[in-house]
Amino acid sequence: MRQYLMHSIAAAMIGTFVTGTSMAQEMDLTKKETYDQIMTWANEPLDTSSYKKDGDLRIGLSAGYLSNAWINFTAQSVKYEASLHPEIKEVIVTDAAFNPTKQAADIEDLLTSGVDAILFWPVDEKAILPVLKKAHEKGVVTINIGYNFMRDPSVTSNAYVNQWTYSEQVATEFAESLNGKGKIFAMLPIAGSSAAVVQLAVLQEVLKGYPNIELISSEYGDWDRAKAKQLTENLLQRFPEIDGAFSPAGQMSMGIYEAFDEAGRLGELTLSPGDDYNGWTKLVTKEGKWGSVTSGLEVGRAATKQAVKILTGEPTTTAVVVPTRYLDPAEAAKLNEPDRADDWFKTDLPTEFLPQ
Amino acid sequence: MSAESKPFGHSTRLPSLEKAAVWIVLVVLLLVAGLSSEAFFKLNYLTNLLRQAAPVGIAAVGVTFVMLLRGVDLSVGAVISMSAVLCALVMDGRPENLWLGIAASCVCGALIGLANGILVAHGKVSSFIMTLGMSIVVYGLVQVGSGGTARGIVSPGFREVVNSRIGGVLPVLVICLLFAVAIGIFLQSRTRFGRSVYLIGANPEAARLAGLPVNRVTVVAYAVSGLFAGLGGLALLARTGVSGTNPGAGMEFDVLAAVVLGGTTFAGGRGSVGGTFAGVMVLFIALNLANVAGLPFAAQLIIKGLIIIIASAAHSWIGAGSGGRKQE
Amino acid sequence: MWTRAIAAMARQGLPRIYWALFTLVLIGMVTAPQFRTASNLANILEQSAVLAVLALGQAFVIAGGMIDLSVGQLVGLITVIACMMFEAFPSLSPLVIVGCIALAALVGLINGELINRLRMSPLILTFGMLSVLQGFIFMLTDRSVGQVAPAITFLSNGRVLGIPVSLVLVAVVGIAAYYALQRSIFGWHLLAMGNSSDSARKAGLNQFSLTRTAFLVSGLCAGIAGLLVAGRLGTGFPNAGIGLELDAIVAVVLGGTPLKGGRVSVIGILGAVLFLGTLSNLLNLMQVPAFAQIVVKGLIVIVAILADRPGRAARLA
Repeated sequence: MRQYLMHSIAAAMIGTFVTGTSMAQEMDLTKKETYDQIMTWANEPLDTSSYKKDGDLRIGLSAGYLSNAWINFTAQSVKYEASLHPEIKEVIVTDAAFNPTKQAADIEDLLTSGVDAILFWPVDEKAILPVLKKAHEKGVVTINIGYNFMRDPSVTSNAYVNQWTYSEQVATEFAESLNGKGKIFAMLPIAGSSAAVVQLAVLQEVLKGYPNIELISSEYGDWDRAKAKQLTENLLQRFPEIDGAFSPAGQMSMGIYEAFDEAGRLGELTLSPGDDYNGWTKLVTKEGKWGSVTSGLEVGRAATKQAVKILTGEPTTTAVVVPTRYLDPAEAAKLNEPDRADDWFKTDLPTEFLPQ
Repeated sequence: MSAESKPFGHSTRLPSLEKAAVWIVLVVLLLVAGLSSEAFFKLNYLTNLLRQAAPVGIAAVGVTFVMLLRGVDLSVGAVISMSAVLCALVMDGRPENLWLGIAASCVCGALIGLANGILVAHGKVSSFIMTLGMSIVVYGLVQVGSGGTARGIVSPGFREVVNSRIGGVLPVLVICLLFAVAIGIFLQSRTRFGRSVYLIGANPEAARLAGLPVNRVTVVAYAVSGLFAGLGGLALLARTGVSGTNPGAGMEFDVLAAVVLGGTTFAGGRGSVGGTFAGVMVLFIALNLANVAGLPFAAQLIIKGLIIIIASAAHSWIGAGSGGRKQE
Repeated sequence: MWTRAIAAMARQGLPRIYWALFTLVLIGMVTAPQFRTASNLANILEQSAVLAVLALGQAFVIAGGMIDLSVGQLVGLITVIACMMFEAFPSLSPLVIVGCIALAALVGLINGELINRLRMSPLILTFGMLSVLQGFIFMLTDRSVGQVAPAITFLSNGRVLGIPVSLVLVAVVGIAAYYALQRSIFGWHLLAMGNSSDSARKAGLNQFSLTRTAFLVSGLCAGIAGLLVAGRLGTGFPNAGIGLELDAIVAVVLGGTPLKGGRVSVIGILGAVLFLGTLSNLLNLMQVPAFAQIVVKGLIVIVAILADRPGRAARLA
């Protein structure tokens, strides 16, 4: 009897190995071709007939984290857009605080609450797949928001900001502003995140066209101004000559600026364009140089609009892509809201929807 | 062999060696660091290191008192966060709110410490779990207060003054750190509070029987710890000049490592603020060395953990030799 | 044997945590309609499996008057290693499973040995070990890696007739823990050591061996929990274990086991795990904002620890 049991367990295991689990498409984030492919996918029409629902709609927002300003604005813009559509009855927001196990539980609980669509940004793209599969099997629309593109049967659609284009704009303007010459370092976001991988890859790609620019170090500042400052201080100790810093995230650029300032070496520094972070635009206004590339904050509203389209059976594309564009210092200065804190973004959200 | 039979048993074997131990380690480490990179011998670099260490260092002074009492305060990271965020919120970018912001943070830190102390002393519960729970509550309140963004604007001049160097050499923050250490040493050696802390930490039962106000001293010790953590948060705010969502995250590890390195272990009754200061320096030089040597961030975590373990074990051995406590 | 156990329980009554649990369930039934569904209940059970196994392991250590703070990161480490191995050697899955559990048990053993030899407080040693293990995880990877064998996915997520498979696993571990802690000589000795290590030593109990075994079990349970987490996430996420040790300790204490050791109740621990899982679920269903949920969690820890005070008997002394 025991032998029979062992054999059947073994057989079951082997059987399941062979069929295997389906995984999201593995994409090489360091190649431009990947992004061209993503844009092609994005423009394909999406068959929404199977998702159409009548009556009131419920939207769930599963935030992987709510601990930085950009993400908070995105969450608020989802709520704002939802308020503009009378057919959306409620928006339920959960926060996983960087815990993928909690995000899985959050989404399960959202499903129990009977939502029709789940908008999300994952703590981890791979870790969220098992629970997204459950959502998909229940016929719930799933939309990924942000800088990574998830191509998987369980993800209905993406509201996407093209990282490659964004980083390329920053890198090219930066290289030009250096007149093609100098020693620079890169200040990147969280190590291992798709943002960090892409930004570095793009920089290296662009630098191929500028052989006189040398990348002396890559640092990971985690989108944290204080950490960026500390890392820059260490670099200033190690390297007697630094001409510029590649830092697409305005928040971190400020930390770099302060480090140079305190070391008395501000004159040497050329910063790359940042984004639309309020503290950064304040700095651009003050210095009159360096500029910004918009960071795609409209993606929250775009995701909600997409959800409504899918749920009402309207034709739409597989993904909505939010464009980014370069702003020279004068235009960037217009984005500044001087009486707001540094940790802020200028948006068209009405007052009651601004982060508290 | 049992130290339990000694009423107020400070170590009887080589007390001077134990006190000197951490300073010896510090000198050795500096030499090693200097050999690997001559930047370590430049005054500018060292003072910058101390500037980076200021928030942890100031908080560690307060935690020393708690640990002398055989307790531990793990809420310091959260209190530092709260202090930095609250101060920025109160200041609101206006110069007239400068002292109000500073005062608010100090009071808040002290109040949290007070709550910790009362719950631990009168509730007679594990300080470890209690302060850990408190840190979660405080962290949650910080998030609620900030709404997820780094709100609050620092008053003009705050960062510029506190983060500057006098005469281009000596950072104001280092002076603040040294000042905090000096106050700590004064408290420990010259006040009745300080003496009571040592006595109670060495043998709580005997202290109680001798009539020492154990509960009151405990409450004050935790309040002091909370206050110093609040000051540490102000130092952190001054360094960066901006609020954050959780700027003090994880600092309790650094604080604990520094205090333990300095000779104040969980056994209580032994250690000193001076030792803690040396411990802070050792910790930051070691971590900086790891950075300069190009070791990955992961290595720093392992180093911190090993420091805690090895330093604890080493101090146990050098000291009275009665290590085997199976409780906190 | 069964009748004696049930009789003992009837005499003592259910641990107090069950009153809190019943109250919570009642609140849930009234305020959130989706709470009453069978699938929600299954969700709660599934979501609680990891904590249940971890808390049962921690119970061994706490019963002996010690504590193990490294289990959270150990879970993370096992999750990462398991997923890396599953991806590298997909056909060797059973071996990987056994290997990972064995590795976790080994780490536990090392903890125990270090405590014995260095004569350190378990609190500090496992606190330092927490940092060391986290460092090891990050040496392996800084992002999620690997994949999971389907058997493990089934273990964590599968349902048979609506009942979660992980529930069966928890039941098995629970029964084993019950017998080891409350119905065996080993458990008796462990509790004696927790009660008073001096008396235990004088009675000739081998504290070193008891310590070793308790930590080994704690590590072993962390290994099982690590596999469960891997199954739930489908990938090796390095930070998967952060904070789990505190959750486990809270569950043990809420379940009626004092931190100083000497007494233990497996039934109480399981009830506490259910309570925490239900609370988390209800907070989500009632749409309590995320930051408030954090504050609630902290308050629970404090309340749990305050409720852990020496009982009335001690106060009479």
